[in-house]
Amino acid sequence: MATTTAPHARAYPSGRTWVYEWLTTTDHKKIGVLYMTTAFSFFLLGGLMALGIRTELAVPGLQFIQPELYNQLFSMHAITMIFLFVMPMFVGLGNYIVPIQVGAADMAFPRINALSYWMIPMGGLLIMGAFLFGGSPIGWTMYAPLSVVEPARGVDMLLMGLVLLGTSSILGAINFMATIFKMRAPGMTLMRMPMFVWVTLVTSVLLLFSLPVLTSGLIMLFIDRNYGGGFFDPALGGNPVLWQHVFWFFGHPEVYILILPAFGIVSEIVPVFSRKPLFGYKAFVLATASIGALGFTVWAHHMFTTGAVFLPFFSFFTFLIAVPTGIKFFNWLATMWGGQLRFDTPLLYAVGFISLFLIGGLDGAFLAVVPFDFMVQDTYWVVSHIHYVLVAGSVFAIFAALYYWFPKITGGKLNERLGKVQFWLLFIGTNLAFFPQHLLGLDGMIRRIADYAPNAGWTELNFLSTIGAFMIAASILPFMWNVFITLRGPRDAGDDPWDANTLEWATTSPPPAYNFDALPPVRSERPLFDLKHGTVAAHPASVPAAAGQTHGELREDAPEERLGQPVEGHEDSSGETRGPGAEVSAQAPDATPAAGSDAADLPEAARQDAQKPRKPGEPE
Amino acid sequence: MTKAVRLMEPKRLASLLAIALALAGCATESGSSIVGDDRPPGFLPGEVVTEQGQLTAGLYLPIFLIAVAVFLLIEGLLIFMAFRFRRRPTDGALPAQTHGHNLLEVGWTLIPAIIVAGLFVASMSVLFRVEARSESPAVTVDVIGFQWQWTFEYPDYTDASGEPVSLTGAGVEGPEMVLPVGETVRFRLHAQDVIHSFYVPQFFRKLDVIPGRVNQFDQVILQPGTYGGQCAEFCGLAHADMYFTVRAVERAEFDTWIAQAQEEANATPPPQPSGGVAPGEGATLAVSSISITEGFDPEVLEAPADTPITFELNNPDPAAPHNVAIRGGNPDGSDWIGEPIADPSSSATYQAPPQPAGTYEFYCSIHPNMVGTLNVGS
Repeated sequence: MATTTAPHARAYPSGRTWVYEWLTTTDHKKIGVLYMTTAFSFFLLGGLMALGIRTELAVPGLQFIQPELYNQLFSMHAITMIFLFVMPMFVGLGNYIVPIQVGAADMAFPRINALSYWMIPMGGLLIMGAFLFGGSPIGWTMYAPLSVVEPARGVDMLLMGLVLLGTSSILGAINFMATIFKMRAPGMTLMRMPMFVWVTLVTSVLLLFSLPVLTSGLIMLFIDRNYGGGFFDPALGGNPVLWQHVFWFFGHPEVYILILPAFGIVSEIVPVFSRKPLFGYKAFVLATASIGALGFTVWAHHMFTTGAVFLPFFSFFTFLIAVPTGIKFFNWLATMWGGQLRFDTPLLYAVGFISLFLIGGLDGAFLAVVPFDFMVQDTYWVVSHIHYVLVAGSVFAIFAALYYWFPKITGGKLNERLGKVQFWLLFIGTNLAFFPQHLLGLDGMIRRIADYAPNAGWTELNFLSTIGAFMIAASILPFMWNVFITLRGPRDAGDDPWDANTLEWATTSPPPAYNFDALPPVRSERPLFDLKHGTVAAHPASVPAAAGQTHGELREDAPEERLGQPVEGHEDSSGETRGPGAEVSAQAPDATPAAGSDAADLPEAARQDAQKPRKPGEPE
Repeated sequence: MTKAVRLMEPKRLASLLAIALALAGCATESGSSIVGDDRPPGFLPGEVVTEQGQLTAGLYLPIFLIAVAVFLLIEGLLIFMAFRFRRRPTDGALPAQTHGHNLLEVGWTLIPAIIVAGLFVASMSVLFRVEARSESPAVTVDVIGFQWQWTFEYPDYTDASGEPVSLTGAGVEGPEMVLPVGETVRFRLHAQDVIHSFYVPQFFRKLDVIPGRVNQFDQVILQPGTYGGQCAEFCGLAHADMYFTVRAVERAEFDTWIAQAQEEANATPPPQPSGGVAPGEGATLAVSSISITEGFDPEVLEAPADTPITFELNNPDPAAPHNVAIRGGNPDGSDWIGEPIADPSSSATYQAPPQPAGTYEFYCSIHPNMVGTLNVGS
């Protein structure tokens, strides 16, 4: 990582193919793309399982899928979507975007990064392989003793696969934390990090604290199943409720692992498309951190009906989480207020996220009311809640992110018209599929059943829900077609197609190996905005006084001219020397070895400039 | 919210429903039990019939109204902004770059905090009343959940040998519990194998049935009627079929019923359900129910046509009760179900009605995955 001088030669010996390169790459961008494509493949598989479930539930009676298969499908649908789609998708986005957003050349540990990735398809194969060995009909929560007595070998494959995925996430979390703490660009203090970097950091902390607990629990379950461990067997002195504590101590932070990155994505997109800064940045950071912390105090709200937990404590903290979540909503709204909203597909998805995730937040507040939870726990109310959080939340944010960063990743901008068609299909489909489930749950329809009584009045709503599920499936087709035609079309999106704020838009699309030739100075959470509009416009009060400089001086110091020039030379992705930055960096010795290499990668002027606002003792 | 509701307009629904009903006609099998009241699902809770349940249901409306208010506020703002602040071609200069506003931010932190604090206090006060347990419940029922049936025992009412009155379900509809109205009923929940959950939607209450621990809760049923219930915690293959019913009656009727149940328990041997044929007459088939996973041994049985069939079931399974049932084995075409159920490590004898020649499926009505073939021939 010593220099941004990209190698002239191809990164692999001649005669070896692109397959070899992709299999052996340690480039965070390629690994990010691998993560995302793998995750998307599993999204399709998990979606097919969901269609199977909804087809069977469309009308009462067993028509297509018998309970043996049904129980495997709903278990595997959740496992696939959570562990093999949403998690790797966010890790993939983080892998691609976070190092560029902090101005780094790569992740802190590129080889560990590759290892983390390769555990995902391996774990995924093991988990999908379970279908060949009797499946894993134990629910994604794997409650003991059902998961202990279930004879199917598929359960053991699932456990092994999940241990691999868990290990991958732990390694990834360490990697992200090291990257974010140690490799930020000069001037990028913690409170100047883009919000997506903040949420990745908090998510990594959650992963690091929660995944080892799950992984240990999985191993205990494996021992119970195969060697008579007795951890969860009351006959041997164990306790089945212990599994639920272990699982949900992971499982609740997991919910935030699946949604905090979505908050970050929306917080990147809303300011850019409103042409305003994120309203209440500090409050937003604090809210994110407190959601992360509170996430560890509420796990047993999934266990209110076990009769084995201290209800007031977990109810109180569950209610409390509504406060920082509410702050985020108001901050997004205030960011849009008075802005100049450009409803391109990314903003459409971000606004769709805000409007629908709201429902997932509100119906979740009902669940914090313990006596009401006694009624709707394990009913379709809860199914509706998790899907408003994970589909209307995570999936909408994922599509927002894909539309937003696609031009950066490939150089081509996705078609807006197809994007809007997809959005409206998905938006209507999501509501149609999941809103009726609130009413079903309130009427007493329980989850995880292949069939329901024909005379309970549930047929119409279930049928609507199934139509919605097929609309969601249909919305994926225009997306795939969009990706296909965009990849075949010209890659002429340019470096900064959205007029964005953060560092990833200061390099080429796609970025060269090691990302930057020259970095603009970082004086706020919007370095690129400052470059385009000047810091005075952005920070009329704070910046000149703090740095003792005027706006003009800052612009003089900034190597913005260099940023403009390299564009022409950047079309080749094979890694030619780009722009004057490479020359400058070659002159710059490793002046600050302890602080990592980033400062050394900068042009001299920018580097000196960057030293100024750094407070002593602050991690670089 | 509005979107989903609008799409549920009667006209569109009617055509969808026509397709749905056509599909339902192809159903191979359907449950007959009804869970919940017979009103269609709506935005408000249905009929709740217990004192504790009504307390809880009373919490719903205020929370629902707060949720609707917040929903309308935020969606309204979004829709307003989408029109008011849409970027126009004339927009050249940057909009005002506001980074925050302390008063606003404190406001939208504090106001939600106060609202949720209020909700917390309200929900706790209801919780403590719902969870309160009587010193002396009028009736205690031991609910025993196992894969995939329920047993209800009345420990206060025993037969001559001191065993409590006990009801175990055999078919999909499960057992029926009879309870007096207006008195405190104590439910004590026991699990034999995996976790189940005792759930009666019209009680507005469920509680998990967990092996190794006994969960308890009290209910006062306020109105007579029959209320469906179902296992709410996923417990394996036939989880969806773990139904039961609660029939609430006046005290006098309850006393009559329980006395009759005690009498029946005293009668030995238990009366044979159907056929009216003494054991030994007709064909006798011996079969063992090995376990839930291994099924019956042998799996194929032969019997002569139009002759009463006696099943001698040996249940060596130490973990689960079993029985024998014949799909479509009753003259009216319904399933014939052998009762009583053979407890773990015991045996039972069943009289099945004569069957016309043909091939039948026999199964354990508690574990519908345990199946065998019954060849009835000449």
